[in-house]
Amino acid sequence: MKYWSEIKYKLTDHITVAMQLLLLMLGIYIFIMAEKERFWKIPMLFIGLMVWFFLQKKSKHPIIWIAFFALLVFDLYHFYFRVANHHFMLMFMVLPVIFYMYHQKRSILLKNIQMLLVIVILTSVVQKLLSSQFMSGDFYYYMMNKGSIFGTFLNFFPDSLEVAQSNRASMLALYALDPNEGEHIVLNNVFPYLGQISFLFAWATVAVEFLVAIAILWKPRHIVTHLLFLTMILGILCTRLETGFMALLAICGIFLCHNIKLRLLYVMIVMGCIALVVTKLGYH
Amino acid sequence: MYAKTKELLLKYGIPSLAIIVVVVQLFFVNTQKLNKWKGGGYGMYTGIHYFYDQIYIPGLSVDSLMEDNIKMKTILSRLKLMPNDINLEKAAKFVIKTTRKDSIHIQIWKPIVNSKKGTFSRVLVNEVHLKKSQL
Repeated sequence: MKYWSEIKYKLTDHITVAMQLLLLMLGIYIFIMAEKERFWKIPMLFIGLMVWFFLQKKSKHPIIWIAFFALLVFDLYHFYFRVANHHFMLMFMVLPVIFYMYHQKRSILLKNIQMLLVIVILTSVVQKLLSSQFMSGDFYYYMMNKGSIFGTFLNFFPDSLEVAQSNRASMLALYALDPNEGEHIVLNNVFPYLGQISFLFAWATVAVEFLVAIAILWKPRHIVTHLLFLTMILGILCTRLETGFMALLAICGIFLCHNIKLRLLYVMIVMGCIALVVTKLGYH
Repeated sequence: MYAKTKELLLKYGIPSLAIIVVVVQLFFVNTQKLNKWKGGGYGMYTGIHYFYDQIYIPGLSVDSLMEDNIKMKTILSRLKLMPNDINLEKAAKFVIKTTRKDSIHIQIWKPIVNSKKGTFSRVLVNEVHLKKSQL
């Protein structure tokens, strides 16, 4: 019980908790990306760390946040079209935090996070609606037949796993042929009725994402909104270990959530994702 | 008045920036053939990843071309990410320069799936023919 009261006490100040986890994620991401253009990053990191280490208490500026943000901007400048979407998301989360340290208004910070989440999820819905490959179910059909989503669960069905492996081998064989010959292969379904399942799953994905975005826009702190949001995050993690992006979404959840138990669940998701990212089992 | 404007800017400035990035991404997707997975438009998992697109150069192995050639790797990776005419021409010029061939034909093929028929095939996205004399 004593531990639980300690945890509850820690989770009471959710903004601090979310900022601590965001800084941790940011540090890990910077570490992973540090190899790219490393000769420019060495002086940036060195100066940033030195100033943070010695002048942290003397300066009123959030030095470590600014230094890490500068590195994110640097990578964005060099690899604008190559960085993943969570790079943009991370930047749009770090920027409000830096501003918050100057204006100290929680309402502004929370509005920033709420609107950012709505934009990210709604844009994702629009992109899916605009993609005929997604809405027809073809994309999920391809991914499932290759074992690229629900891959972990496929291990419990040896026959289906074998079918996925054989599909992958057939695709590789097709790639070895001259594409101008117009050859095609027929995929074997890992499960019966996969075409129909993929179609329904695609529409269900869009419906859930749309529902979550509207709920966050309308009632950002309501318990039902967070139950839906958590279902979405856990659902995505079950399909594929998109741990970096999901950790960021969960941190946004901590910022907005009022319920202590749900905050704890968000923290557990972030911690789990971090563990998977650093061990490279999940995607960063 | 000033305080209100400042608060409004602080509340909606960063989300507006996020929207601008999305609009820029959509512009590049629709005019420059940028793949939806990239560019900050949150279009990941809306289609097969561009990693599985195929650069086909008749008579040449793309893997061999990229082996130990960082510049070739960068140019061809960019071509897969954004297979527009500019990137195709850049790639063709560099391949001609590297291989010293008189002419080159580069094609970009995308995988397509039909869940109703259960088929998997490839479709041509863009191609270029370039002669050394055109350089």
